[in-house]
Amino acid sequence: MADATVSIPFRQAAGPEMKYAPSRLKFYIDVKRCIECGGCEVACKNENNVPAGIARIRVVTINEGEPGETNVAVPCMHCSKAPCVAVCPVDALFHRPDGIVALNKETCIGCGYCLYACPFGAPQFPKGAPFGARGVMDKCTYCAGGPEVPFSERERRMYGANRIAEGKLPMCASVCATKALVAGDAEEVANVVRMRVATRGAGGGAWGWDAAYGKGY
Amino acid sequence: MAGLANVFGYGAMTNHQNDIRNSRSIMIIGMNPAENHPISMQHILTAKEVNRAVVISVDPRFTKTSAFANKYVRIRSGTDVPFIYGLIHIILANGWEDKKIIQERTFGFEEFKAEIAKYDPATVADITGCSQADLQWVARALAENRPGTVIWAMGGTQHNHGTALVRTYCHLQLVLGNMGVPGGGTDVFRGHDSIQGVTDIGGGPETLPGYYGIGETAWKHWAKVWDVPYEWLVSRFKNKQMMEKPGFTVARWYEGVLLDSKELGQDVNLKAAFFWGHSTNSMQQMDRVKRALEKLELIVDVDPFVTNTAVLPDRSDGVYLLPAATNYEQWGSSVNTNRDNQYRQRVVEPVWEARTDLAIMVDLAERLGFRKQFTHNMKGGLRGIPADVKTAKSFSEQTMNDVLREINTGALSIGYVGHTPERLKRQQEWAHVFDIRTKKAEGGPVHGESWGLPWPCWTDTHPGTPILYRNDIPAAEGGCGFRAVWGPKAPDGRTMLAADGSAPPGGPNAGYPAQKDYATDLTLGAIKEALAEGRSPYGNGRARFNSWNIPDPVPVHREPIHSPRPDLIVKWPTYDDVKELYRVPTPFKSMQKPEWVKQYPIILTTGRVVELEGGSAQERNSLWLVELNPEMYVEMHPKLVHDHGLRHGDWVWIETPEDMDGKPSRIKVKVKMTKRVGPDTVFLPFHWGGVFEGKSLAHKFPEGNVPYTIGESANTVTTYGYDRVTQMQETKTTLCRIKKA
Repeated sequence: MADATVSIPFRQAAGPEMKYAPSRLKFYIDVKRCIECGGCEVACKNENNVPAGIARIRVVTINEGEPGETNVAVPCMHCSKAPCVAVCPVDALFHRPDGIVALNKETCIGCGYCLYACPFGAPQFPKGAPFGARGVMDKCTYCAGGPEVPFSERERRMYGANRIAEGKLPMCASVCATKALVAGDAEEVANVVRMRVATRGAGGGAWGWDAAYGKGY
Repeated sequence: MAGLANVFGYGAMTNHQNDIRNSRSIMIIGMNPAENHPISMQHILTAKEVNRAVVISVDPRFTKTSAFANKYVRIRSGTDVPFIYGLIHIILANGWEDKKIIQERTFGFEEFKAEIAKYDPATVADITGCSQADLQWVARALAENRPGTVIWAMGGTQHNHGTALVRTYCHLQLVLGNMGVPGGGTDVFRGHDSIQGVTDIGGGPETLPGYYGIGETAWKHWAKVWDVPYEWLVSRFKNKQMMEKPGFTVARWYEGVLLDSKELGQDVNLKAAFFWGHSTNSMQQMDRVKRALEKLELIVDVDPFVTNTAVLPDRSDGVYLLPAATNYEQWGSSVNTNRDNQYRQRVVEPVWEARTDLAIMVDLAERLGFRKQFTHNMKGGLRGIPADVKTAKSFSEQTMNDVLREINTGALSIGYVGHTPERLKRQQEWAHVFDIRTKKAEGGPVHGESWGLPWPCWTDTHPGTPILYRNDIPAAEGGCGFRAVWGPKAPDGRTMLAADGSAPPGGPNAGYPAQKDYATDLTLGAIKEALAEGRSPYGNGRARFNSWNIPDPVPVHREPIHSPRPDLIVKWPTYDDVKELYRVPTPFKSMQKPEWVKQYPIILTTGRVVELEGGSAQERNSLWLVELNPEMYVEMHPKLVHDHGLRHGDWVWIETPEDMDGKPSRIKVKVKMTKRVGPDTVFLPFHWGGVFEGKSLAHKFPEGNVPYTIGESANTVTTYGYDRVTQMQETKTTLCRIKKA
């Protein structure tokens, strides 16, 4: 009976007394595992009450119906050196201390620079306005609400759920049937990637990792 | 299920989904778990990553599952028997078979071997369309990577010889010696929530709960369990003969309405139909269903949503919608594909006008005058049941548990005994101590139990049987041989008991018949006696290569009723017509016409998509799901699209041959151009409803109840064709032609 499991020593991200590394939240998208069931998309919409036409996470299929068919779930990756944060002219986009790229919808002017800067197509704009007006941007919040009073009705309405403040992971990763989409603290996510690479012998299938977090980060 | 039961003794998945983590090869045939059982994919992918398991996908369509396979083999729809026999042919030719298990634990291998000889690789390649090299590759992969599992679902069963086809999957696993071992088994994935449970409690037309059949012994056994006089039960039927006669099936009940009553197996036509959580758009020949719905005097549709049933018929009265509570609004337990029984807590009270299923049933029993007998086993003077059952929305948790206890008392044949509400609730609390790979608990009050107490779970201390037919552990720990359900000897005198040395340890190491009265002794005395002596209560018998009691004792290939190969219809025809099967005449050969392919040259197959489920009344009412899969379509290969002068997104008419109506059927759908299907086949998802032959039925929904998406039902164009044993519909293979709309 093949019973091989790979153990990686568990390392506390913040060190023994929680005084070293601050937490850093990341996504790991394993394209060797994603089956395009759409669970993440639906769970996200339901949890955050996202209107039709806006996709905070979308599963993209490459070579559909042919050998090599691959699925990629694409949320906002909450990049380390986020291009959207760099180009935003009004600083509506900013990094939280835990690495989440947050958005202030009251500051956003809907210029759309972030849309062109983002390598993942994460920024979403309400569609259908005349004269190409975009409206305020919307994107994945890592289920961390927004810069409002946590759990307030206003936060819920403008940004959706605040699961991070409840001590829970983003809804998309929580429901993933095949554990293709993994969310959590950088160190623990890296452990999962390492474990899968070790098990498979090669290829963590971590799509977008380098673009989002840099090589060797 | 009939296929499995006629080989091994029980009609259920033998291993469990988690156990796939132990497999070294995984053959997925007639099945698309990535869309239909997404959760199971974590086990399949883990086996692939951790064990380096070889994943083989065999299907007419390159599915989302095929994308994860090491090897994809395309075969023509409905040719699984030759494909499997081709594999066995190669395995036997190379001496890769497991001689020990064949000799000690199976029956009829000689006849089987004679049949296999007809399916040499060249013949198989001609019938199935797969290459001989692929066949060789798959046979070698299965032989070199043991234990391996074979997984199938509706792609295996929805054929005119579906039962025979399922038996060949079982035979392949027997030949490879993959039965009764972790990582092996015949893993048929059941489709819906608690569908295994529904089968267990007698959802079929030919059996009472626990697969007792509907003969006098069965009725007397259950009369004892229900504590009602047997004579009273007889008095509820027209006569004893009708009481013991299998009823209509879900596949063809409508013929009971449409045909002349002289042609039926009963005196009168059906006048009323109750649909309880069932959708008519998953039923074949929907044009006939529609006409039957128009002719019925009464239609009742019990569902949380307005289903296709309510809007399909052209009628203005006589349709009653009873809003049912969802699973979140009621207590209960459900049995999943693994035979796991799991407790279910109520989250909220039934909302709005919804009532729980049991409340509706008890009310119905009250109005029909047998509430006293119906609720007899809900102990303590109807404890928890309000006096006025006509308005009760739900009953107490205690009452729901009494229903489970009644099943525990009676369903002894399958060991549905140890699943007391207390044990199930305790497992729910201790879910974290169960191992993901073996499903066994380590420590805590549930120590040693298997998750869900998979049946047979013989007593309230038995741990359950996660892997059936495992003879390397004692019976008291979940070991068992093949079920000795066909007596000690076959009609030709050969033994049906397993050979010496093949019994679960701890008891007599030989074949032995079933314990006397184990299935009818309500005191559990017989079961306990067998277990105390280390024997499995149902005996230690042989699995059958030759099932003498059903058509095609050794399975043979039968071309689909609508076959694209006239030459093969001659050589491998379907069955002779049957005068009466489940109360309706069921023609086979007279419906199989070789000339159909001239007018209808394209193979049509149907299936499911991940966003929607079944008739999809619920999912098509969810905006998020509809957004992901907004409209009905037909999958066509680019060559076929272009040969028809079409483009991606064009509207087309799909037309199929006339069936019993003498009138062709057609639907209007959009083209989805994809290489998932080959150039000879098109694929339709069957979840849509609310449009019939190009006409919208939206105006027929009650106000505010039109789903976010309506569309043509694939089953409007699926044609005649039914399984010879179970009458399962042959929706996976028919013929069609395509015209630009």
